[in-house]
Amino acid sequence: MSATDGTKAPMRHFTTPSGEIYPDVIDLEPVRAAHHALYESREEMTADGNTAAAIATLQMWRCVIYPGFPITPSTKWIETVAARIASDPTTKKRVKLMEAEHAVADYMVGAASACRDLIFPTATSSVGLDHMTETTRSLGASGLGNVMIIDVYRATANFPLCIEGDPSDTLAHRDDGFIQIAARGKQQIYDTVIQAPVLGMHPEILTPTMPGYYGIKDSHRNARLVVEPDAEVNTWMDKWLAPCALPGLLNGDTAFGNCVTSRHFQGFKVSQKRRYERVLEFLPRIGASFENHFGRPGLAFFDAVGFEDPSVDVAVVSMGPDFGTFEAVREGWGRKNSLSTAGIAMRLLSPFPRDAVRERLKKAKVVLVVNQAHHMGRGHLTLDVVDALSDLSSPPKVVGAFAGMGGADVSEPTWERMLDQAKHALEGHPVPPYAVFHEGMTL
Amino acid sequence: MNTLDPRQLLRDSVLELRGDGKAGGGLVLAFQSLANLLLRDPEAQVQEWPFFSSARRGANIRSFLRVSRRAVTSACEVTRPTVVLLMDEVAARTVDFAHGVPSGGTFVLNTRHTPEAAARHFKLSGRVFTISGDDVGTKYLKAPIGNVSAYVAMAAAIGGMDHDDVVDSFLKMLKKRRIPDLVLGRNRDALLASFDAVRTGTFDCAEASDHQAAPFAGYGELPVGCQTPLRLSEKNRTADFAPSGFRLRFEDPNDACTGCAHCITNCPEGIIRFVPDDQIGVKVLGADVSQFCKLCQECVAVCPENLFKSAPFEEHWQEEEVPVS
Repeated sequence: MSATDGTKAPMRHFTTPSGEIYPDVIDLEPVRAAHHALYESREEMTADGNTAAAIATLQMWRCVIYPGFPITPSTKWIETVAARIASDPTTKKRVKLMEAEHAVADYMVGAASACRDLIFPTATSSVGLDHMTETTRSLGASGLGNVMIIDVYRATANFPLCIEGDPSDTLAHRDDGFIQIAARGKQQIYDTVIQAPVLGMHPEILTPTMPGYYGIKDSHRNARLVVEPDAEVNTWMDKWLAPCALPGLLNGDTAFGNCVTSRHFQGFKVSQKRRYERVLEFLPRIGASFENHFGRPGLAFFDAVGFEDPSVDVAVVSMGPDFGTFEAVREGWGRKNSLSTAGIAMRLLSPFPRDAVRERLKKAKVVLVVNQAHHMGRGHLTLDVVDALSDLSSPPKVVGAFAGMGGADVSEPTWERMLDQAKHALEGHPVPPYAVFHEGMTL
Repeated sequence: MNTLDPRQLLRDSVLELRGDGKAGGGLVLAFQSLANLLLRDPEAQVQEWPFFSSARRGANIRSFLRVSRRAVTSACEVTRPTVVLLMDEVAARTVDFAHGVPSGGTFVLNTRHTPEAAARHFKLSGRVFTISGDDVGTKYLKAPIGNVSAYVAMAAAIGGMDHDDVVDSFLKMLKKRRIPDLVLGRNRDALLASFDAVRTGTFDCAEASDHQAAPFAGYGELPVGCQTPLRLSEKNRTADFAPSGFRLRFEDPNDACTGCAHCITNCPEGIIRFVPDDQIGVKVLGADVSQFCKLCQECVAVCPENLFKSAPFEEHWQEEEVPVS
C-alpha cells in the first residue's frame, strides 16, 4: 500500500487480544479463484468411507495443502487425495507427505497458524494419532479451529496390534481438546467432513476438529454416496466462515503458544473449556443449516431410532456402523419379548452432549450401553451415560456391555444376547457392572 | 431341493453374498465391481466390504456384499450367504467357503473342474457355476488372474444382467484405479471371453451336517502379554500365503550341498530339513513345504549351489487338504 507522494502509508491494522492483525497481508481471493471444481453438479457414485472423506476435503477451496502420513486403515484417504491432485497438473493444491505423524501434526500447527482462514486436514489412525499426541494436546488448546484430523478408528489398546475398527484411539484422546464427531455410513462421513471445520472455525468456538469413522467397517465399505457440487459445498461453508478475527503468523504478531505462570494457566483453560462447550449450542444450528441447504440430515448429537414413545423398556446407546445391526434386530427382538426398544448412536463424542442424552433417555426403564473400545472400567460411553443420568431423581438402570473390540464382528445373535442382558436387568435381576459379548455369548 | 433365486431375494428381502480368496488375487475388485453393477438398479442399496489381516499378499481374505431394495442397515458379517464365490482353490484348504449357505444356494468357483466335479468334491447342494478364470487371465491378461472371469460368473449366477453393463461396471472400477488403456482393453477381451466360459449345473451333494459353522467356543487360554503362538507359522500355516500354483522344490541328485547352512539360517520359518554330516557338518535334505513355506525364496537366493527353486505345482484335490466340515 503506497501513498501518492511516494511515502509508504502505514499498513491497515488493528488490535486484538492476541496481538496486532494486518488484514491486508493475506489475499484469499486468488486461492478461491484457483480452486478447480471436482464436481460441477450433484453426482451419485459408489465409494468407501476413505474416498468419501477425501472427496469432501478436495472440494473445499480452503483446503490447499494436505499433510499426511499413511497408516492402515486411513491410508486410502491420502492416496485418493494424492491421486486426484496428481491427475490435475494445473491445480495449486499440494500433498505434503511427512516423515511421520508427529511431523504431520507439527506441520499443521505451522500452516494453520500462518493462515487461520484456510483449512488443514489430514487423516490418521490408531498409533498414528498416538504419535501426534504431544502436538494434538497443544493443538486442542491452540484456537486453531482450521485444523481437522480425520481419525479412521482403529484399535490402539496395544498390544496386540490390530488393524480393524474400534474407537479406542479417538476415545483415548478425549482430553486433547478436539471436537470429536463420529460418523457412520458413506454419506454421513462425507457430510460430517464438510461440516466439521465450520463448527471448529466458528468465532465462538475456535477449536480443532476430529471427525472419525470406523476403520475397515466403514473406511473400506462401499455403498452409495451423493456428492454435492463444489460450488454448493463452498457456498454453504462460506456462509458460516467469516474471516478469522485473530492474527495468524503471517498477518499478525501472535505466536502459537507461550509459557505462562500459574497466575494465568488456569484462566486459559477456563477460556478453552468455555469455547469447547459452545459446541453444544452451535452444532445443532450448523446441522440444521446443512439440512436446509442440502436436504440431508446435518450434524446432530446422536442418531435416534424408536423413540416415538420415550417411555421405552430398553434404550440402547452405542456408536458406529454396528448400530445398524441393532436397528435390523430391534423390532424382531422387541416383538419376541413383548418389550419396546429404542436406541441412539452417538455422533458428538466430545464434548459429550450430557443434557441431550439425559433428555432422550430419562424415561427409559433400562439403558444398555454398548462400548466397542477397550477400557479398564465400565467403558467410556457407559461412564458418560451414567454421568448424564445422574441428575435424575430415579434414573434408568444402566447395563454396561462391551462388544466389537478390535473390530470384532457384532452379529445379530450378539445384539440379541446383549438385549437379553438388558431384559434381565429390567426384570429386577442383578447384572454385573459390565460384561463382554461375542457371537451370541457372554464371555 | 428347491433352488433359491438371487433376483427374488434381492427384490423381496436382502441378497447376501460372500467370497473367499487370497490377498492380491483380485477378490476385492470383483466384489466392488459387482456392487457397482448391482447399483445400476436405481432402487438398490448395497454394502460391500472386505475382511483381511495385516498379513502379506497370499493370505486368505474374504469379501462380503449385501444388496436390497430396502435400506441395508445390518453391518455384521454375512454368515448365511445365498451366493458364495471361491476365487482361489488354495483358499479352500483353510476355510470352508460354503459354510452357512442354505440348501439350494449358489456356488461360484474359479476352477478348471466341471460344476459336477466341484459339487461332489466340496459337497454342494444348489446351483454350481464354474469358470477357469486363471486360464482366461493367462490368455488375455498374460497372468493367471481369475477375478475377471469370476466376476462374470457371479453376475451370471445372480442373473438378469445386461452383458454391456457387466463389462462397463468392471472397466469403470479399473478406470478408478487409473489402469492404462492397453490393460483396460485386455480386461475387456477377458470379460467378453468369460461369458461363454461359464459352466453351470444343479446338484444335491451335501448332507444336512455339511457346511455348518462351528459355534464360537471362546478364546481359550491366551498367554500373558501379546507374544502369542498366533504369530508363529506353526499356527498360521503360512504355506497358504504362497502364490497359487507354485511350491518350493529342493533337488540335489549329485550331492552338491556344501553344508554352508545359509538356507537354514535364512529360512524365516525354520523348515529346512537337515542331518549332521561327518564331512560337511550338515547336509540339507530339503524343506517341509506342506505347511509353512510361504515361498519367500530366501533359500533360493542364498544357496550357492542353486539347489532350491520355485516350481509350478498343480493343485490336486486331496480330501485331506480340504477341511469341509
